Amino acid sequence: MPTEVSQVLLLGLLGIPLLAGLTVALMGPRRERAIPWVSLGATLVCLLLAVGAAGSLASLPGAATGSPAKSFHPEFETRLTLLRLGPGAVEFYIGLDGLNVWLVVLTALLMVPSVLVSWASVTERVNEYYAWLLTLETAMLGVFLAFDIILFYVFFELTLVPLYFLIGTWGGPERRHAASKFFIYTLAGSLITFLGVLGVVLACYTEPRINRLTFALPELVGEVNKHLAELGKNPAAFAKELAAWQHIQFWVFLALMTGFAVKVPLVPLHTWLPLAHVEAPTAGSVLLAGVLLKIGCYGFLRLCLPLAPDASVGLGVPLIGMLAVAGILYGAGCALAQDDIKRLVAYSSVSHLGFCMLGMFALNEAGLSGSLLQMINHGLSTGALFLLVGMLYDRYHTRRLSAFGGLGARLGLLTFFMVFISLSSIGLPFLNGFIGEVLVLMGMFAYQGPQVNGPLLASVGAIGIVLGAWYLLSMLRSAFFGPAKEPAHEDHAVGDLNFRELAALAPIAVLCVALGVYPQPFLRVAGRDVQVVARIAGDAMQRSPSYTRQEATPPASPQAAVQSPEEKKAP
Amino acid sequence: VSREILEALVGVFPLVVPEAVLGLAACIFFVGGTFRTNRHLWAGLALAALALAGLGWWYTGPVPSTNPFAAPLVLDRLAFLTKGIALAAGVVLVLLSWKEVADRQAADYYACLLTIVAGLGLTGSANELVTLFLSLELVSIPTYVLLYLPRHDPAAQEAAIKYFLLSVFSSALLLFGFSYLYGLGGTTNLAALMDALTGSGPEGLPRVAQVALVMVVAGLGFRITAVPFHFYAPDVFQGTSTAGAALLSFVPKVAGFVALFRLLGLLGMDPGRLGFALGNQVPILLWILAAVTMFLGNLLALLQDRLKRLLAYSSVAHAGYMLIALAAAPNLALGGTETVPGGVEAVLFYLVAYGAMTVGVFAVVAYLDTPQYPVDTVDDLAGLSRSHPGAALLMALFLFSLIGIPLTAGFVAKLLVFLGALAVAPEHNGQLFWWLAILGVVNAAIAAWYYLRIIAAMYLRSPVRPLPQTRAWPGLAALWACAAVTLIFGIYPNWLQQAVHGVAAPPRPIAQAQRGER
Repeated sequence: MPTEVSQVLLLGLLGIPLLAGLTVALMGPRRERAIPWVSLGATLVCLLLAVGAAGSLASLPGAATGSPAKSFHPEFETRLTLLRLGPGAVEFYIGLDGLNVWLVVLTALLMVPSVLVSWASVTERVNEYYAWLLTLETAMLGVFLAFDIILFYVFFELTLVPLYFLIGTWGGPERRHAASKFFIYTLAGSLITFLGVLGVVLACYTEPRINRLTFALPELVGEVNKHLAELGKNPAAFAKELAAWQHIQFWVFLALMTGFAVKVPLVPLHTWLPLAHVEAPTAGSVLLAGVLLKIGCYGFLRLCLPLAPDASVGLGVPLIGMLAVAGILYGAGCALAQDDIKRLVAYSSVSHLGFCMLGMFALNEAGLSGSLLQMINHGLSTGALFLLVGMLYDRYHTRRLSAFGGLGARLGLLTFFMVFISLSSIGLPFLNGFIGEVLVLMGMFAYQGPQVNGPLLASVGAIGIVLGAWYLLSMLRSAFFGPAKEPAHEDHAVGDLNFRELAALAPIAVLCVALGVYPQPFLRVAGRDVQVVARIAGDAMQRSPSYTRQEATPPASPQAAVQSPEEKKAP
Repeated sequence: VSREILEALVGVFPLVVPEAVLGLAACIFFVGGTFRTNRHLWAGLALAALALAGLGWWYTGPVPSTNPFAAPLVLDRLAFLTKGIALAAGVVLVLLSWKEVADRQAADYYACLLTIVAGLGLTGSANELVTLFLSLELVSIPTYVLLYLPRHDPAAQEAAIKYFLLSVFSSALLLFGFSYLYGLGGTTNLAALMDALTGSGPEGLPRVAQVALVMVVAGLGFRITAVPFHFYAPDVFQGTSTAGAALLSFVPKVAGFVALFRLLGLLGMDPGRLGFALGNQVPILLWILAAVTMFLGNLLALLQDRLKRLLAYSSVAHAGYMLIALAAAPNLALGGTETVPGGVEAVLFYLVAYGAMTVGVFAVVAYLDTPQYPVDTVDDLAGLSRSHPGAALLMALFLFSLIGIPLTAGFVAKLLVFLGALAVAPEHNGQLFWWLAILGVVNAAIAAWYYLRIIAAMYLRSPVRPLPQTRAWPGLAALWACAAVTLIFGIYPNWLQQAVHGVAAPPRPIAQAQRGER
């Protein structure tokens, strides 16, 4: 496919949901039948576009051979100046590369079941609901596609508005509180991120050796790392400059981290999440868990790591590593204690996102690609779990675990999907969760940097897998097996999954198997840009002052510190 | 009369074409009001006068001053921009007040409004202490009348008296400061005065200058509602008509900030000509003002239930954000990073964005407000999205802009302010301004809470008492004008940024040549 076509595909990805949202909003609340169909059509078209764009990225000559990308430059880019500021300009700069391509596909994919699951459950203010849902799609896709740091932030913040209305209007009984808490919490965090964004841009501008005002991410990353590499070549001569840049990076990392850590969420900052998840309508939960939490991880991957590599090694690894492990255990522990199934799945998200972050801050290729894969896995399996919980709620209007028992006999298909998705979430071999978790843990075991005992962190994190199996299996046992127990419900007969619900779940289940059996295409396309991040992190590790101390087993290059990619990728 | 003086007098007229048109129109209104009492007539004529003034404004364009060291009025880019803002604000305010003004008072009301617009335009042009003072009073005095005209209940009387007394007091402070300035420089011309102050050397200004500085900032602080000169705002906003509150929230702020640019010598942006802004006194004074203003405004706004009081405190808080940029302005110029917008440019951008969003909120309130169903508290807006979806959507847009959510002008304004604050070089108290930026974002997060409360009331609650449907095209037009500005400069801010860019920097060769001649 020629690049121009793919370029248009990306623009269409942002434009179509927005236009469809506007159309739906203007259709008025009365045409309840047509509105979901229009929304479904728009999301399906977007899915096609996303798959098409991913396909054309995968078929590029570089991606096909798997040769490492030189730097951060995206494919199929579109650049338009939005705001000229002196020598630089804020641009509308979007593109596709190995880091965002699968997240874009995941977003487009999860939108389809989100529309399907809302079909019958949303009956009030239908046009507004679908309008916000489609606007949210544009915002989410925008975050992933943006290659201008301000544009990234713009979309990052814009995701708040539709979700605020989705939770606040169509949520559960505590929806207003949940929506406000979600909004304020994330906004406060992301405003600090905003300062970090401006800080790193200005640091590049005021540094006389760079002296370039740019908001384009590839250029920023390139300049920062070129500069750091030059300083690092001769640490004795540039000791002062190096210290100054380490100081800048420290603050930039901390500022950027705050907003993303709220979004991920890392453990002390997670308190908005259970409330928002429980109160959100099903589609809101699916997208919140499936995509919006990934935006936090993606922020770390796209901004924190490449723009503050030294701080990522010095501060990020110990801090985020600890918080991630704490999150894995704490989230799993909380999930064990829940009686509300939705809350259980929400806490399991905290635990799973801990794995994503743990893998990312292993800072090597295995960890990074595991983390990326785990993001997709979590999006698929937890998204599907929220769908299933929503379907259960539609039938019985309760989510209390103790109210259910032996549903397996009554609702065979629903139980099948529940068991299947739970197993994928636990990480059963040949299902997607397994490969992600293994890569993450391998990455962390192989961590060679200073300050942190990688194998120890990995082992403690591995306990989370056991706990994950525990809470999910006990949930399955008590609700779906054993003696039959049904909560009181209106006298209409509770039926099994209908065709619409099957259509929402089946593609996700198929993908879970596909990724579990044959993840190579995924890893190959992502791998080129993962290697770029790994190289940046590796250089930073060599620069770090405590690195020289442990040169008993000096790795020739950071890539050699871990096993070769082929070995890791085969589970 | 010598020829030179005559020339100088005649030469001033092309610089004040819009103001002359407006002044003439105001006179006709005052006289005509005794013959005809019809608000549609006078409001229409006011719009016509503003349009005519606008034509004059556009065709004169910015004129480089031949002798800024003697001219009482200049028409540099700042003056040109201020006049444009004043005229646009005038149009929106006429549309906004259309409904609220009684027929009998219409002529007087619109005459006062036109005078205020003219005064604001002159403030932008004033290059002399006396002219500046007169222009500021030309804004203030009609405002007293305007506050009193539409309502006669005790609350309105209290508001008018309170505003009158405090405004007179602040004018006195300003004059007191001006007298010191005259004593220091021996001239009333601002350009010459800044030159004289610069001559005192970079070590610092004489002690007396600090008295003048504090007085000037206090006098103008009243107009921009900086804490501790803000405390009239909630009562006066509450006591006056919605259009009056909209006017008070915007016009005096523009006047105050423009006057501050000129008086602090920030327009040179030429490290040699910084005038007052030399040394640390100005930045530190403004730093403290900014921090206190933001915190007090936002924290007190959290406690409000009545919309106008809430908006009054919100306008205090926004003055605080603008003060961040103003405080950073002198140091930005010293640091040589003048290509990073911040400082004066950011304040101007912020003023336009702030005007659109705050006047927009008032426009929504004015649009919905009827004598039978007054819109007074946040609860009155409950369920608005069901009864008035369009008005609710626009209100939400303005409120998101006030929070600083992207795709609105409020976001870009905050971007420029924080960019300026972070760009201050470390050797010029850079760290201090980083902290100010951090305080700024903390405040932006606090502010989100009370704006979100209104959005939540409109969208997430069911109506307490449904508001009747209203149809008034002037109110709608005002609303849409504000919404268009908010949205267009949010999505494509480049136009406005190019308009304010370089306002602070006059062509340097001219300034130097002038100094050489003297």
